[in-house]
Order: sequence, then C-alpha cells, then structure tokens
Amino acid sequence: MDRAHARLPSSEFADLYAEHSRAIYYLALRFLGDPEKAQDATHDVFLKAFRKMDQFRGEASWRTWIYRIAINHCRNLQQAWHGRHVFSNADESTWETVEARTDSPLRVLETKELGERIQKTLDALPDEYRLLLLLVADEELSYEQVAELTDQTPDAVRGKLHRARKAFAALFERTA
Amino acid sequence: MKQQKKFSQQEEQHQQTAAQQAAPAPMEFETPEELLRHDAQQTVVPATIEARLAESAADLPPPARSWWRRLFGK
Repeated sequence: MDRAHARLPSSEFADLYAEHSRAIYYLALRFLGDPEKAQDATHDVFLKAFRKMDQFRGEASWRTWIYRIAINHCRNLQQAWHGRHVFSNADESTWETVEARTDSPLRVLETKELGERIQKTLDALPDEYRLLLLLVADEELSYEQVAELTDQTPDAVRGKLHRARKAFAALFERTA
Repeated sequence: MKQQKKFSQQEEQHQQTAAQQAAPAPMEFETPEELLRHDAQQTVVPATIEARLAESAADLPPPARSWWRRLFGK
C-alpha cells in the first residue's frame, strides 16, 4: 500500500487517533526519551486500542482508556530496558530533601535546546515523578483521573506532585 | 577621520539594537507542568506513525461495536 495514501480503517478509530495521538506520542517521547521508540510505542498503543475497541465500556473517557494502554506499554518497555541496563536515576527518597525554589518561575532564555533540557531533566527523575508530571501537564485530565491512572488517591497525587515539582525545578536549573 | 569614527559608533549601536530586537524574549513558566504543556504544543506527531498504523490495521478485521454502545445505541 502507498504510505502517502494510507487511511485508518474506521472513522471512529480515525477520530480517536486524531484527537489523542499528540498526547500519547508526547507521553511516549518524554517518558521513553527516544523519538524512534516513541514512534514505535505510539503505533503499538493505537494498534492495541484498535484491537480492543469493542472492550471499551464507556466507564472511562477515551482519553484515560488510551492513556492506560500507553502507560502499561511504556512501563513494559522501560522494565525490559532496565533489565538489560544499569538503572541510574535516583529513587524517590533522594528527592525528599532536595532544595529548590518552587515559588519562583522556571525561566527559559534559549528556546533552541529547550527540548533537550526538558528531556535531561525528566530522565534524571524517578519514573513515578516523570509520569505524574506528564499526566498532570495534560489539561484534559483531572487529578482524579491522574490518580486512577497511577493507582493512587488524589491526595497522594497532590503530595507527590509537590515533590516532583521541586525535583524538576532543581534539576532543570542545573541543565541551563 | 572624526566623521568616520562617529559613523562606526552609530553603526555599532544600530547593530546592537537590531540584535536586541532579534533576540527572543525570555519565557517564564510558573510550574513544570506549564513548561511541559508548552513543550507538548510544540511537538509534532510524525506522519509516518499514522501511515504505519493504517498498514498494520488494514490486515486486521474491523473493530466490533462494544456491547454498551450496541445497548445504548451510541
């Protein structure tokens, strides 16, 4: 089939892809930290969604449903990767005592390498904080939905988010 | 000579002003989420994903309507 003329097979699935592909690709890109892996992951996630569309019950939104598939997929990839490589980023306890100004804004003077700085910062965070920040950054998700997706209470999300913000701010400053 | 010096000073000043005008203003983000949101908006999803997906899905049977959709007619 000619790639340029390839069409998604159902209008419902095409709508699903059009509406959520950016969110899923961005999550995969920043969670996995590799554009090629992110492309493969986004393809695989939507293909799984296509196969499972008849299982969607409407109890959750399409957004949270496809996010759940994506999170599981990315976690599996991370686990496979960590199984073969030395795990280097610090665990949560390291960030309990981190010093960072959470009341002052993050300043960006040079936008050219902003993506690299963001990726470096996220890579140095524990997986849990990275995922939390990426999900909370999606304005279409409520704290309750983020809590559901990460299997914890909304209060726990708020607590961890505070520490994740501090850790991100401290690390981001160091990438300047 | 004096006139030439004055000219080069004006030229230098003009270049500095132009450079200042060309430099992008610093951006500020109140929270990391705001920064990530900005980053997400700048991110372009590669078109190759959709093309690959169309190829992969073409070999599969079309998705059945879910039971709750059949039930509620959605």
